Amino acid sequence: MKIDLDEARRVAALAHLQFDDAGLERMAAEMTKILTYIDQLSEVDVEGFEERDATVTPFRADEPHASLDRELVARNAPSWRDGLFVVPKVIEGNAGVATMGAAASTPPSREAGDE
Amino acid sequence: MNDVLALPWSEAREQVSPREYVETCLRAIETHNESLNAFLHVHREAQPGALPVAVKDNIVTTDMPSTCGSHILRDFRSPFDATAIARLRANGAAIVGKTNMDEFAMGSSNEHSAFGPARNPWDPSRVPGGSSGGSAAAVAARMVPVALGSETGGSVRQPAALCGVVGFKPTYGRISRNGLVAFASSLDQIGIVTKTVRDCAEVLEIVAGHDPYDSTSSSEPAGEYAHDLERGVQGMRFGIVSKAVDRLEGEVRANFDAAVDVLRRGGATIEQVSIPTIGYAIAIYYIVANAEASANLSRFDGIRYGHRSEMARTLSEVYDASRGEGFGAEVKRRIMLGTFALSAGYYDAYYGRAQRVRAKLRHEFAEAFKGVDALLTPTTPEPAFPIGAKTEDPLAMYLSDIFTAPANLVGIPGIAVPSGFSANGLPLSLQVMAPHFGERTLFRAGAFFERETGYWRTLPPMLAAR
Repeated sequence: MKIDLDEARRVAALAHLQFDDAGLERMAAEMTKILTYIDQLSEVDVEGFEERDATVTPFRADEPHASLDRELVARNAPSWRDGLFVVPKVIEGNAGVATMGAAASTPPSREAGDE
Repeated sequence: MNDVLALPWSEAREQVSPREYVETCLRAIETHNESLNAFLHVHREAQPGALPVAVKDNIVTTDMPSTCGSHILRDFRSPFDATAIARLRANGAAIVGKTNMDEFAMGSSNEHSAFGPARNPWDPSRVPGGSSGGSAAAVAARMVPVALGSETGGSVRQPAALCGVVGFKPTYGRISRNGLVAFASSLDQIGIVTKTVRDCAEVLEIVAGHDPYDSTSSSEPAGEYAHDLERGVQGMRFGIVSKAVDRLEGEVRANFDAAVDVLRRGGATIEQVSIPTIGYAIAIYYIVANAEASANLSRFDGIRYGHRSEMARTLSEVYDASRGEGFGAEVKRRIMLGTFALSAGYYDAYYGRAQRVRAKLRHEFAEAFKGVDALLTPTTPEPAFPIGAKTEDPLAMYLSDIFTAPANLVGIPGIAVPSGFSANGLPLSLQVMAPHFGERTLFRAGAFFERETGYWRTLPPMLAAR
């Protein structure tokens, strides 16, 4: 299977991965080589064998449990305010990206007044 | 070297206090880690514990970082302990450090770690194997008696083989995956690295069992894994996977044949077994594992934890740039392959077909186990290779797992036991695979082989010279 640059670009967009031009070209070449090896799977007779395993993962009972400590979750967050993860404006086309600024990264421990 | 460190855990714990044991391990880590880079984090104030354990850095712990060998998680501190860690702690274990690994467990040499490669104690110019290379090096250099690793395609057995220690992957579902950072959920299992088979069986007794936090963990009763260690192999039936072994040549082949003879002399019967589809294992693996990885690693988006790009201005840029900056080359390669295999127009030809070939492989293994108790192969096709030898050729690297990946695809347990040395003094290894939940069979065969041969007693030159 040959992966050309356009196909690599399509897959990178699906995968949400940023590449520079040289990186994408190298990736396309490596994927081509690996997929060419993998293409040998097409020679196997798989008649009678299904894609899905018959065993089913059991569900646990749908009962509430204690969740993670919010303070500990907040400590790992790149940007956190008022008990929420802060992200850039989701709906584009408006004035800007105001919510990503410095005010957003205040550690939760200093926000006792907000509770 | 302190004599206690040369002993297996099952003997050492009788001879030292928990405090002394942990302190001895910490001193050994201090002495050797600079040259081996086996540990990413060391817990210098670790509590006294009758079982000092090193843990691969993709198994989360509250008292140390859990980086998965990746820049994207370099500051990550888990809010909870993995179930296996909680069980170890409840049984008096001391977690003395977190070990180096290929980023997100993707690799067979440890060279894909964002924090530099771990090195092989038998020859520090060579790889320790991967992805649990740090765990294998830590036990091989006698820094700890026991380490946890993780397996997706051989990531415990392969480095254990290259470092001359015991490496074990349980049946899928035997050990809870709760707190093991997900790579490929239908393949992943926590595994164990030890010096001896007895230590391995005893550690499994602690960590095995159903866990409500992992629905895929099995309710099959666990325990008494050390029960059959002294039984020997009289009357056992072993199958040699002829298709896997026939193409081997040279010292790996000679070593394997000698290992089979040890079992035969112990009274086991040996026969040839045909698993025609086994040669496709790596091709299946790199579709199934990467497809699952592309979904599992979508959680690293720069929003809730992990690296967020400073360059990003829009939400979409946060995703693309954080991932682009945070992931290394091999992780990106696998996410790309997995995304491709699941994408519209290619799903049936790649993911669907790989799953069907996998079902065929599973069927062939089940058929083979109707006639034998366990299957034998070498653990790896060659001993430890030099650092840098395969980094430019991902496919050559992938083929390092040719004997180990089938067990993950099929869900069966496998164990790697030291089987001697190459002409230039590098460890070689015998792999034994058993049917689902046949762990006791593995330990029985492994313990016999180990008793007869005693290779585990040989120390790497860096320790023997001290």
